[in-house]
Amino acid sequence: MEERPQQTPFGDMEAFHGAFAELYPRLVSYARRYGASFAEDIAQEAFVILMQREEPVEHPTAFLYGTVRTLALTERRPMKNQNLSLESVSEPGLGGGADDEVLSQEVRERMRLLAPTFREALWLFVVEGLSIREIADILGIPEATVKTRIHRAKAQLRDQLNPNGGVHVLA
Amino acid sequence: MSWPDPARRFEPAEDVQLRAELRELLGLGAPLPQAAAPVTEELTRLAEDLRREALRRRRTERHRPSWGLVAAAALPLLAALAGLGTWGVQQKHRADAMAGQVHQRDVEMASMAATHATELARERKAREDAQEQLELVARVLPRKSLPYLVIPVNKPVRLQGEDYQRVKETPAQ
Repeated sequence: MEERPQQTPFGDMEAFHGAFAELYPRLVSYARRYGASFAEDIAQEAFVILMQREEPVEHPTAFLYGTVRTLALTERRPMKNQNLSLESVSEPGLGGGADDEVLSQEVRERMRLLAPTFREALWLFVVEGLSIREIADILGIPEATVKTRIHRAKAQLRDQLNPNGGVHVLA
Repeated sequence: MSWPDPARRFEPAEDVQLRAELRELLGLGAPLPQAAAPVTEELTRLAEDLRREALRRRRTERHRPSWGLVAAAALPLLAALAGLGTWGVQQKHRADAMAGQVHQRDVEMASMAATHATELARERKAREDAQEQLELVARVLPRKSLPYLVIPVNKPVRLQGEDYQRVKETPAQ
């Protein structure tokens, strides 16, 4: 006899299947961006860890992204290059998934020129479409820091567009 | 059915605006209305497998008796603290009792000193009164006699029988 609880961190079973269909490919892509060799395994493990928890999670999406990030960095740790966050954005063949089809070479080049910490926050905010609160949960930093990083990334992008000068104001 | 993420449903307008500006800076353009991700049979099966795996892990997970361990580890410390507290309370009671005794003794000493001071003052006053009375009497009464010289001697000057020498009378010529 199998126990079949109908409630999941995303709601009922139908909501869980919908969330899984939406988030799983994104998480696989996100894990690949950290250079994970077994991105699918990492994304699936993140879902299992989330479902295994007995305590409710306030932001399941942020929890999944954070778990994928941790697992991907842990997998890369023996290579001692885990500090290169999202470095694989511009590396052909590593950065993968549906997003690469959306992002043009020019966009990827612009993001590559950003500082890694700013790029990470910007990627999660713009491309993944996560909220400031979720990014703060994923990166384990205060929301104000996330906002600062995003605004600095914005300033750097403006500098790229206006290389001859121009005044930008940090919000 | 797509999952409506509550975190994005309540996103502030300024964040939405910031995201739009950044998309424009990156050259991504306006975001397309997101179509619901197709829930294929393969994805549903994978999701069910993962859910079952999570349930299996939850059932087989060894629950660590964390609170029991913490309580067991803290028991000696709590006992020591309780003993120390009891000893401290006893010491405080003893100190309070001794302080009370000392205070009582101080009060008694102060009372005795006050009594002695009162008696001393009374005696001094009586002596002064007597002295005044004597002076007054000496001033009022006349002197009976004038003062005379008194020469003290060791033994009384009195002639004894053997103290004189009899001499023969010389014949008259």
